Amino acid sequence: MSRLGRGRNACAIALGLLAGLYPARAQDKKTEKPPEYVGSETCQACHEDTFKAFQKNPHHLVETEKKYNRTTQACESCHGPGGKHAESMNAADIRNPAKLRPAEVDRICLTCHLNQPTHVGRINNSHAKNQVSCIRCHAIHQNGPEGLVARRPLEINAQCASCHSDVWASFQRPYQHKLANATVMPLGAMSCVDCHNPHGSVLPFNLQTVNANEPGCFKCHGDKRGPFTFEHAPVRLEGCGACHEPHGSANPRMLTRPKVMFVCLECHANLPTPTAPANGTLGTVPPSFHDLRSPRFQNCTLCHQKIHGSYVNKELMK
Amino acid sequence: MRLLLAILFTVPVFAQAPAASAEQSPPPAQQPAQAAPAAQQPTQDAPAAPQPAPATPAAQQPSTSAPAAAETKAAESPEPTTEPWITGSLYLGYRTLTDIRGSFQEYRSVVDLGEGPKLLDINFTILDPKKRFFDRIDAWGSGWGDDPYESAHVNARKAKLYEFSFDYRNLAYFNAVPSFANPFAPGGFDEQSFDIRKHILSVDLSLFPAKHITPYIAFDRNSNSGTGIEPWAQDANNVYPVPTILSDSTNNYRAGVRFEYDRFHVTLEQGGTTFKDEDQAYNNTYQPGIPTTIFGQTLSLNYLRQWYGIRGHSIYSKAMLTARPASWIDIYAQFLYSQPKTDVNFSEIASGNFVNLASLLFYSGQVTIGTGAANQPHTTANGGFEMRPFRRLRILESLMTDRLHDAASPLVAEQLLLNPTTAGPNIITSLNYTQFVNYNQQEVDAIYDFSHGITARVGYRFVWGDAQVLAGDLSQRGLVVPGQLQRNIGLAGFTYRPSEKLSVHLDFEGGGSDRIYFRTSLNNYYQGRARARYQVNKSLALQANFLVLNNQNPASDIRLDFQNRANALTVYWTPNNSKWVTLMAEYDRTTLRSDILYLSLPFLNTATSSYRDNAHTGTAAADFVLPHLNGAKLTVGGSFFISAGFQGAQSRPTRYYQPMARLALPVVKNVYWNTEWQYYGYGEPFYLYEGFHTHVFTTGVRITK
Repeated sequence: MSRLGRGRNACAIALGLLAGLYPARAQDKKTEKPPEYVGSETCQACHEDTFKAFQKNPHHLVETEKKYNRTTQACESCHGPGGKHAESMNAADIRNPAKLRPAEVDRICLTCHLNQPTHVGRINNSHAKNQVSCIRCHAIHQNGPEGLVARRPLEINAQCASCHSDVWASFQRPYQHKLANATVMPLGAMSCVDCHNPHGSVLPFNLQTVNANEPGCFKCHGDKRGPFTFEHAPVRLEGCGACHEPHGSANPRMLTRPKVMFVCLECHANLPTPTAPANGTLGTVPPSFHDLRSPRFQNCTLCHQKIHGSYVNKELMK
Repeated sequence: MRLLLAILFTVPVFAQAPAASAEQSPPPAQQPAQAAPAAQQPTQDAPAAPQPAPATPAAQQPSTSAPAAAETKAAESPEPTTEPWITGSLYLGYRTLTDIRGSFQEYRSVVDLGEGPKLLDINFTILDPKKRFFDRIDAWGSGWGDDPYESAHVNARKAKLYEFSFDYRNLAYFNAVPSFANPFAPGGFDEQSFDIRKHILSVDLSLFPAKHITPYIAFDRNSNSGTGIEPWAQDANNVYPVPTILSDSTNNYRAGVRFEYDRFHVTLEQGGTTFKDEDQAYNNTYQPGIPTTIFGQTLSLNYLRQWYGIRGHSIYSKAMLTARPASWIDIYAQFLYSQPKTDVNFSEIASGNFVNLASLLFYSGQVTIGTGAANQPHTTANGGFEMRPFRRLRILESLMTDRLHDAASPLVAEQLLLNPTTAGPNIITSLNYTQFVNYNQQEVDAIYDFSHGITARVGYRFVWGDAQVLAGDLSQRGLVVPGQLQRNIGLAGFTYRPSEKLSVHLDFEGGGSDRIYFRTSLNNYYQGRARARYQVNKSLALQANFLVLNNQNPASDIRLDFQNRANALTVYWTPNNSKWVTLMAEYDRTTLRSDILYLSLPFLNTATSSYRDNAHTGTAAADFVLPHLNGAKLTVGGSFFISAGFQGAQSRPTRYYQPMARLALPVVKNVYWNTEWQYYGYGEPFYLYEGFHTHVFTTGVRITK
């Protein structure tokens, strides 16, 4: 049996076993007296500041909109019934999302936000899989200019870099996408979410998509989109990252190698044969008049300048 | 456009009526030191610390409040909102540079800041107390006044009626790195350089006419315009640098509707794009070739006119569905389809003294006409579910297929002219072929919460696909060649959070490939990531990141050995939650090692391409509130990047320093005088002529309200 077949069967068996366990879930249910909701005005008595600020918070809609089924109970829509807490004044008697498991936090948020476009990518999203809950980025009580989440490039970048500090370091390299970064570069215009969708994407690395299903790179680099009459295969097969380090590089044009010829020749190294090479890869060696001892041939894109694809030349020269 | 935007931003700020703002605290008068990114974050899984109320615009927030402080704030309530109808800040200044020592072209390629008066930053929020046309408008912009990164953004919304956003960026895109064109011909042979302005516009309007229905319409445009120098290749024998005029643009129109109900959601979207590319290249002067002579004849280019007239358009459709049919399962699906098409019109006239080495034919001119079309239907379908059979267990399953087909029919006719009146041979390229890329992926993950602080994840991903792409010049397998992809990947993750002070995340994937597309593709690989954060005490927090990617391909003619490691340590320090000093420092150590066999030309002997990139990177920012100066603030920090060179391996040892200091002095209430100094120093031992350094001074006033 091929690996493909074994893999599929293993998945099917695993899923079948897990599905069979579903009835056991009923045992988890507890029969308790339904907790009491007391309404946001009761919360206001002690949490006056929060209550007032919340009046201008986007989540205030929960307080007034019938569609959320929590009219006058916005606080308790996230914190749960507050009857016991209102009586005891004990913090332990009310749900505090800050102390919950990430999955439980997400479950609260998804009570309202489940059926929205942002949820489409969530299940495949590395953030959710790595227990990064919604409130890691979204400040639920916040009422400042940034609203519930950072919106200005400076603040967005700061937020992402707080976890992805190794990626942030890449942007200190000389050749980089110009992120907004007040310390070392006065206000570049880009933010992390220009390229990445933190809620998930059909593309790897949560890359943004444009025009339905094309890589987000083409939003700004539309001239590289094509379709070309002569395509360069890596652009479609492995994307821009095959040759570029999109966050930052010490190499010009954010290339993966300092000399262009090695970017190319590491792939274009199969001898032309009537049958597929044993290693099964694409990319044949260039004709031998490319004498690499001559500087002229050390940068392939001197001649093959339309390296992303050409409209008129098979060799990508014009 | 710039003037319009400047007016748009400036008028509301100065036209504001005096408003009561007695309760607002004077904000710091300078930009946040963003080298302290994490300092603005909420602690792990705690609700984010409430930010200051709109009276304190985000851009004025203190820069390096340590996580400890953030955690403390998290327990507090936001400030009461007694807001004026407009709040914001305006930062006007003047920038000057000392002489740029070294390569000016490299300076422009890397930094590109200019001199002169600037609208450095502006942001404001307008609240309409009567909520007639809007509830609030948030706007911000930066870098206006011929800076390389000009941006403007406006967001307006009214509850239950609409949300509107406008985003515009005008980016300088300059690149002329001498070593990139020809490392042995510094300064003067910049065959590949460009000086472009990118204009990127996005406008989006969502309406809320009904409870569950949200129609929206959007327009995006990106355009490039500028000049450059690019090589004009003559029959693979010679290359002449020629001036170019670069011009392309893409317009994107889309509209859709979202249906959001308790049990399900559907989004339907239809869009289309138009594209044009009108690049031109020209040359009116005599240029000798390199090599200059062949068989005693001097090769040259005397005249060139080259026009691209590319027109493209596409339609695309998007359908997305999410649903919760039962409390224990969420499902989603999406179908994405696009079909871009391109029509080609190309013409070129060149004269000089050229040679076709294959036939040893010398000729004096050539005329090329190109036409053709490419059609690329692209379908993506993706679906999956999250099942929760138990309270602690989640099963995530997803399946994706992505199918891109490309039908191209280029027709290119090239007529050689032996002399201006005698036609030589012509070369016609007429093709009609199909390429395709099919990609499929299936993944299943199981996530189990062992306890409140321990969560583990295991999973499996299977990736497979096939492709047919254009073959290389020497291919003996026809015009197109097939490729295949097949990869089995194991996945794992672990989260440990025993207390709010400590959190540890581990993430691992490792895979083996039966088929890959390229020699450098992921083959037998593993990738691990570890991230830990520890709040030592209220003053001090530490964060460490570790990443490793190892990829091996033992095939006898590949021998790929790739390993990349990145280690980052970040420290946040706010002594005793002090209000007069905060510090953030981050150090990152990266090592990259790559060895792979290749065929060296012209003798096709096997050689090893070795690449090393060992780098140290650091960023830091410290804020000091100066005593006895009424809230004056000093910020010092910056970043450095140092990478090493290696004998016998490719590397590009580089040193890039960007220290900075800022002083903000209060002048009168809500007015601060800011003075900034930054130094940019760049050097490369291999290409000394590309080094540069300069001091940049900016001074100006920040007015806040």
